[in-house]
Amino acid sequence: MNHLLKALATRRLFWPLLAVPAIWRLIVPALTDGLGFNPLSELLHRTGQIAIWMVVAVLALTPLKTLFPRARLVNTLNRHRRAMGVAAFIYAALHVMEHFLYEGELRGYFANVWKPFFLTGTFALLVLLALATTSNNFSVKRLGYHRWKWLHRLVYLAALALMWHVGTAGKGNWPFAQKVFLPLLALQLLRVIKPLAERLQIAVRQLRMKAS
Amino acid sequence: MHFKVPPSWALPDSAVTPESHYCGRRRFLKQIGLGAVAAAFAPGELFAARTGLPAKLNPAYRLEGLTLTKENAILGYNNFIEFSFQKEAPRIEANRGWKTDPWTLEIDGLIAKPLKFEVNGLVRKLGGLEQRNYRHRCVEAWSMVIPWDGFPLRKLIELARPLPAARFVKFTSFLDTDAAPNQNSSQVPWPYTEGLTLEEAMNELSFLATGIYGKPIANQNGAPIRLVVPWKYGFKGIKSITRIEFTDMQPRTLWNQVAPQEYGFYANVNPAVDHPRWSQARERVIGGGLFEGKKATLLFNGYEKEVTALYRGLDLRKNF
Repeated sequence: MNHLLKALATRRLFWPLLAVPAIWRLIVPALTDGLGFNPLSELLHRTGQIAIWMVVAVLALTPLKTLFPRARLVNTLNRHRRAMGVAAFIYAALHVMEHFLYEGELRGYFANVWKPFFLTGTFALLVLLALATTSNNFSVKRLGYHRWKWLHRLVYLAALALMWHVGTAGKGNWPFAQKVFLPLLALQLLRVIKPLAERLQIAVRQLRMKAS
Repeated sequence: MHFKVPPSWALPDSAVTPESHYCGRRRFLKQIGLGAVAAAFAPGELFAARTGLPAKLNPAYRLEGLTLTKENAILGYNNFIEFSFQKEAPRIEANRGWKTDPWTLEIDGLIAKPLKFEVNGLVRKLGGLEQRNYRHRCVEAWSMVIPWDGFPLRKLIELARPLPAARFVKFTSFLDTDAAPNQNSSQVPWPYTEGLTLEEAMNELSFLATGIYGKPIANQNGAPIRLVVPWKYGFKGIKSITRIEFTDMQPRTLWNQVAPQEYGFYANVNPAVDHPRWSQARERVIGGGLFEGKKATLLFNGYEKEVTALYRGLDLRKNF
């Protein structure tokens, strides 16, 4: 376990790990006829799903760290948030390219421009693009930490847009959207509540001490 | 201290057969028997009414110039939300012992005398089956070409002789929460219901299918009897019908109740009228090549000649 965590902490091992979903869910099935009867639609869904899992994973890590500050796995994974975010963008970009392929021509692609799934998806992609291009130390320095931080908080808006995107992209999609995003929402709420609860506890203790 | 020494004949509570299993023991035995018979014919898939199969192709519905979708794709790519929301799962989920033979179809509502048929008997009474190749366009913008075996709905309506007050036909599918676990969900008004105007139902295209590719229709395709209305989106083609009712009021339909702003009563295929959430201008042909792209969707799915008269003076954008 220790060795595994140590290995997981290195970039040399973690970066290839981010390509595993592509190999396992996209490339191998594509080569072995494992995408079913509507393969392009399946690829479209799978690239999108991987991108969304990546975004959700990144966003789950901060609250997990707040809730379990000493969990070593959480701490190890937290080092790689930047890489996971960039990977999310790459999968999202693949998803958009796949959408071109799925429609077969630009006319079909742009027939959907004003649809809610298209608008929310495009918004999320643009946010991920902005965040991926500024996911380096140089950008942090150039923007200044606070401005950079605020820029990167756009990811929460992107996540909301993605929930809408998933929910509206197909018939009966809301159950999947709920399954993915409601736990994340719960984690984020706990993250906010925990420090508040701690502060409240301290305040109560101080009041009691004064009273006695 | 008190010890409870169980007598030698005592059984733990865990050994008690649940009441539902006990009450269903005959059905269980029948399923085993039926399963064995079905397995002898085609391992993995249970089949329904066989009467009249294979049927002869009606040359008026040959669909010249179009390629039939491969049987395996028709059997493997389904929307059957009673069993799963995935496309490739109904093939498995609808064949875990769900029994579709024998199957009783009730016909009632505004007719002189309510009728009841076993599907095989009904096919015999109506004088057999014919094969028709129809385009099939799903509301999700994919399509197939399917060789159905069945009979025109008109024949059944003529047999039922609806009263002059009858203006609509309501179709109801099965309700069996044991076989179809999704029917436990309270978010969907089960059982599946659909409807047509009587005029639509009497149209020459309206078809009740009991077979595909000359074989009894597979469970996942809506065994043993389903509606096929090829100028409408696929969800209008209600599967596994148990009841046909003649009414004077437009019936509520399942998808219309779930999302009225998205799924109208008519649901005619129309490339100019988008689904609120996606374009309907084009469709992906199942079984097409990876780089083939989508093809243009046709008004009334290419059946303009046969059905345009039904909608004269109707605003198709409002009555989607």
